[in-house]
Amino acid sequence: MMTSGTTTVRPPDESTESAGERDKIAARAIGLTKTYGDGQARVTALDHVDVEFASGRLTAIMGPSGSGKSTLMHCMAALDTPTAGRVIIDGVDITHLKDKALTRLRRDRLGFVFQAYNLIPTLTAHENITLPMDIAGANVESGWFDTVIDTLGIRDRLTHRPDELSGGQQQRVACARALLGRPAIVFADEPTGNLDSRASAEILSFLRASVDDFGQTIVMVTHDPSAASYADRVIFLVDGRIVHDIADPTMPVVLAYIQELDQPRVEV
Amino acid sequence: MRRVTLRGLQGHLVRLLLTAAAVMLGVSFVTGTFVLRDSFDRALTGLVAGSTAGLDVSVRGTRIGGGDGTRAPVSLELVDTLSAVPGVARVTPDLQGVAIIAGSDGNAVRTNGAPGLGFAFADDDPAFKLIAGRGPTHADEVVVETVTLDKAGLGVGDRTRAVIGATTRPVTITGEVEFGVLFGATAVLVDQATAVREFAPDGTVASITIGAQPGVSQGELATAVADVLPDATEAVTGAAVNAEHESAVQQGLGYATTFLLVFAGVALFVGAFIIANTFTMLIGQRARELALLRALGASRNQVLGSVMGEAAVVGVVGSVLGMGLGILVAHGAKAAIRALLGVDIGSDLPVTSATLLISLAVGTLVTMVSAILPARRAARTAPVAAMRADTPIAQKGLRRRGTAGGVLLLVGAGVLGSSVARDDVPWVLAGIGSFVAVIGMLVGAPLFTRPVVRVVAWPFVVVSGVVARLARQNALRVPRRTAATASALMIGLALVAGISVLAQSVKASVTEGVSNELTSDFVLTVSGGVSTVPPTVAEDARTLAQAGSVAAVSLVPVTIGDFSTPAAAVEAGPISENFRISMSEGRLASLKDDHVLVDHSTAATQGWRVGDTLIATVGTLGKHELVIGAIYKDSQAFSSHVIVDRGLYEAAVPLGLRVDREIFITAAPGADQTELRAALLDIVRPYLVVSVQDKDEFAKAEGGAIDNLLNLLYVLLFFSVVIAVLGIVNTLALSVLERTREIGLLRAIGLQRRQLGAMITIEAIATAVFGAVLGTVLGLGLGVALQRGLESQGLNTLGIPWGLIVIMLMASVLVGVLAAVAPAIRSTRLVILGAINRV
Repeated sequence: MMTSGTTTVRPPDESTESAGERDKIAARAIGLTKTYGDGQARVTALDHVDVEFASGRLTAIMGPSGSGKSTLMHCMAALDTPTAGRVIIDGVDITHLKDKALTRLRRDRLGFVFQAYNLIPTLTAHENITLPMDIAGANVESGWFDTVIDTLGIRDRLTHRPDELSGGQQQRVACARALLGRPAIVFADEPTGNLDSRASAEILSFLRASVDDFGQTIVMVTHDPSAASYADRVIFLVDGRIVHDIADPTMPVVLAYIQELDQPRVEV
Repeated sequence: MRRVTLRGLQGHLVRLLLTAAAVMLGVSFVTGTFVLRDSFDRALTGLVAGSTAGLDVSVRGTRIGGGDGTRAPVSLELVDTLSAVPGVARVTPDLQGVAIIAGSDGNAVRTNGAPGLGFAFADDDPAFKLIAGRGPTHADEVVVETVTLDKAGLGVGDRTRAVIGATTRPVTITGEVEFGVLFGATAVLVDQATAVREFAPDGTVASITIGAQPGVSQGELATAVADVLPDATEAVTGAAVNAEHESAVQQGLGYATTFLLVFAGVALFVGAFIIANTFTMLIGQRARELALLRALGASRNQVLGSVMGEAAVVGVVGSVLGMGLGILVAHGAKAAIRALLGVDIGSDLPVTSATLLISLAVGTLVTMVSAILPARRAARTAPVAAMRADTPIAQKGLRRRGTAGGVLLLVGAGVLGSSVARDDVPWVLAGIGSFVAVIGMLVGAPLFTRPVVRVVAWPFVVVSGVVARLARQNALRVPRRTAATASALMIGLALVAGISVLAQSVKASVTEGVSNELTSDFVLTVSGGVSTVPPTVAEDARTLAQAGSVAAVSLVPVTIGDFSTPAAAVEAGPISENFRISMSEGRLASLKDDHVLVDHSTAATQGWRVGDTLIATVGTLGKHELVIGAIYKDSQAFSSHVIVDRGLYEAAVPLGLRVDREIFITAAPGADQTELRAALLDIVRPYLVVSVQDKDEFAKAEGGAIDNLLNLLYVLLFFSVVIAVLGIVNTLALSVLERTREIGLLRAIGLQRRQLGAMITIEAIATAVFGAVLGTVLGLGLGVALQRGLESQGLNTLGIPWGLIVIMLMASVLVGVLAAVAPAIRSTRLVILGAINRV
C-alpha cells in the first residue's frame, strides 16, 4: 500500500538518529494491536504497530481521522489497554499491570495535555498545576515550579480559576501541570486543537523549548502540519499502521505527505 | 414532543426512578395511614356493634349541669320498675368496674395503660360468648376473656388471685369467654351478687340495658320506659347509643389520622425538595438539548409540557409504588401493634378506592408542583445556548437570598415565641411561626454552605489532603444545590431536635419540680394511667406506726362554665405534710368545705380572684357554689389545676366510685425508711397493680412517661431520614455524571479508584453533616423558643438532649457514607478515555 518510497516503516532497532550515540528509549510498543467489536463490526484501530519514542525528543503522530493515531497514544499512555502486543514505558512493561499500578505509573511517570485543557474548575491555576503532586503526596520543588511557570508566563494567573482564563492560558496551565512532575513522557493529545494560531504557536514553542532546554520527552498527536513542524520526528498512521516516519520535518514536507495520503488509494 | 418526553424518561431512567422513590416513600405514608385508619374504623365499629348487642334501650342518668358534664348514676332499684314495663324482655344493670387477675407468674395481667375491666356474668348476655367451662356462681369464681387468659398463661380450672373492685381474693377460673376486640384491655367476669357488691356498692350503676320483646321496636320501648323513669334519668334507643359510640370512635380516629398525616405531609414536603432538585439538575445537564429543541422551533410551552410530562410519569410511578409500600407498611404496623400491645385490629386490611385515589392524586400533584419551577426554567432556555460549548450554571449572589431567609427565620421564631408566651396558647399561630422559621432556614441555607462545609471538611482535609479538598470544593461548587440536597435531612432532624428539646425540658421540669415540691418519702401509685388505688390501701397505710403522714389524692371532675378539669381531692393537713405547695395568694389552710384552691395560671386565664363565688358541677353535685379560697403557684408534683377538700369529694362521689390516684406517705420522725418500705410493700402486695416508689423513683417515672410518645415520633421521623438519604444519592449520582470529564482527568493524572471513592464519600458526608448541623441548630432554636414561651406554664427547666444531638451528627456521617456507596462505585467504573473525550 506504500505509494511513496521515501520512507518505510522502521523497526525499533533501525534507528537512524544522526547522533553518534543511540538515544535512550522513553517508550516502546511491540506488536501493538487494538481492535474494537466482534465479527462483522470488528474494527482494527492498531495493526501490529512497532514503534519507539526516544528520550528528549518531540515526536508528532499524524494521520487522517480513524487512522488510529489517538488509539496509539492512549495505549502508549496507559489510558487504554491493547488487544495484543506490549507497551514498555520508562523500562517498565505495563501490559499486565493492574489498575492501581497503572494509575501510579500515570501519576509518577507520565504527563498529559488534552485538547479540551481538562482543568478542574473548582481549583485555582496554582492548585491545578500541583494537583498530580498533591495526589501523590509529593513535595513540589519550588525552584522547578518557578522555572516552569515563568517559562510559561503564567505567574500572574496562578490565583485565577479556569473560567477566568483564556483558552491559551488554560492550555499553558495544563502544560505546567504535565511538566511539574518531571515525567518520563508527556503525552499531548491535539494540544492546539481548540486554540487560535497565535495561542497555538505559543504552546508549540513552549513544548519545543521544554524538549530543548529541559530534555523533556513529548509525544504529540496532531492533525495540524504547522504543529508537526515543531517536532523532531513525525510518524504517519493510516489504517492502524505506520506508513511514514520522517525525521526533522518541515512544514512543506509534512504538507506533501498529507496531500499524498489524501490521494484516492486504489489498492488496500 | 411526546417522543422527546419519552426519550427523556428512557435516558434518565435510573435517576427518575430514584426521584420516584422519594415520591413513593411519602405516598406510602399516606396510603398506610388511610389503610390503618379504615382497619381501626372497621374493628371499632364491630366492637361498638358487639358491645351493644341485645341493647334495645339504655336507661342512664342525664348529664349533671348539662353540656359535657358527668352523668348522674342510676339506682339499681329501678331494675324492678323497668321489668314491669310492657314490651320489656330483659333488664340488665351495666355492672362494670375494675377487675384484674394475676397471671401464672404472680404478676397482674395488664397491657400498658389499658384498663382491666370487670363485668357481671349472665348466661343470656349477648355481649359475649362462653367458649369453655361454666359461669361463676360465687365470689371465689371468675370467668376470663380468652386473650386475657392467654396472656395470663392460665386455663380453665386454674387457681389464681384477682382484684375485684376494692378487694383482692383467691379465685378459681371456671370459664372462658370471647369478646370482640378489646384494644389491649383485659376482661374478667364475676357473678351477679359479687358484681353488685363490688361494682355498685352504693346501689347505683352508670346505666341499665333493656332488651325488647319480639315485635316491639326500640322507639316504642324507649317511649314506654321513659314514662316510668324518675328525674335525672333518660331512655335512649340502642341505635342512638351506637351512633354516639361511633361518633366518639370517629373523633378519636380523626385525631390519630391527623397525627399520622402530619408525618405524611412532612415526608412529602421533604420529598418535594428532592424532586425539585433532581429536575433542576436534569434540566441543567440537558440545557443544550433543550436549547436545540427551542432552536428547531419548539415553543416554550412545548418544552414546559415535555418536562411536566416527565414529572407526571414520575409522580404516577412513584405513587403506585408508594401505594404498594403503604399497604405493606400497614401490614407491618398491624403486626407490630399485635406484638407490642397485644392488640388485634381486625383480620384484614381494607384498601378502599378512596385511599388509592387520594394517594395517587397526592403523589402526582406533589411531584408536578415540585417540577414546575425547574420546568419553567427549562422553558426559558435561550435557543442560542445550543451553540455554546458549555452552559455554566448561573450563580446569582446568595446575599439577597440569605437576607430573605434570615428575616423569615427571625419572624418565624418571633411569632412562635410570642404566641407560646401567651397564657392561652394559639397553637395554630405557633405552628405557622415554626413553619415560617423552617422555610426561612431552607431559603437561607445556601449562605451557610460555605462556612459549615469548610468546618465539616476540615478534619478530612487534614487527614487526606488534596482528595478532601477536591471533595470540599465540589460540595461548595453550587451552594444552592448542596443546600437543597441537604434540606431533606435538615427538616427531618430539625423536627427530631425540636421535639427532643421540648420533651427533655418537660422531663427535666417535671423531675425537678417533683423533687423540689415533694417532701414525702414514698408514693403508692398504679403504673399506667387508667387504673387507680383502692381506698383500703390508704386506710391500711394509716395504721402503720412508721407512717407519720398519709395523704391520699383522688380526682373528681369539676366543671365551671365552659372550664372543665379533673380536680384533686385532698385534705389540707396531710397534703401540707407531704408537699411543699407555694401559695401566691391566701393560705393552704383555707381548703375546707366549699372553699377550693386554684393554680395561678388557671386563675389568670379564667379571671378568678380569691373570694370569688362560682357555680360549679362537682362529680354528681350540680349547681354547687364554690368559693376560691386561695391561689397556689403552678406545680409539677401536683398536676391538677384545682384542689378541692376531701369532704366535698365524699359528698360528690358515690362510695363505690371512690378510688385514690396516688397516696403520699411521709415517715414518722425517727422511723426507719427501709422498714416503712417493707411495711408498705406488705400492704400493696394483695392489690397486684399498686407499686411503692420512693421520691426519686416517682420523680423519674413522672418525667419518663413522655418517652413512649417520643419513641413513636422517632420511628415516624425515621422515614424522612430515609428520604433524605435518597435525595443525597440522587444528587451525587447526577453530579458525578455532570463531572464525568473531570473524574476522567483525575483518573488520568493519577487519582486511584480508592481516592476517587473517598472524594465522593467525603462530599456526601459534608453535605449530610451540613444538613444535620443546620437542622439541629434550627430544631434547638425552635425547641428553646417553645420552652422559653412555656416557662410561665411550668416548663421552667430547659433540657437539651446532648446525647441525642451527638448521635444525630454521628448518624449523619453514616448517612453520607451510605448515600455515597452507589455513586462512588459508579464513578470508579468510568472508563477514563470515555470520560475525558465526553463533550
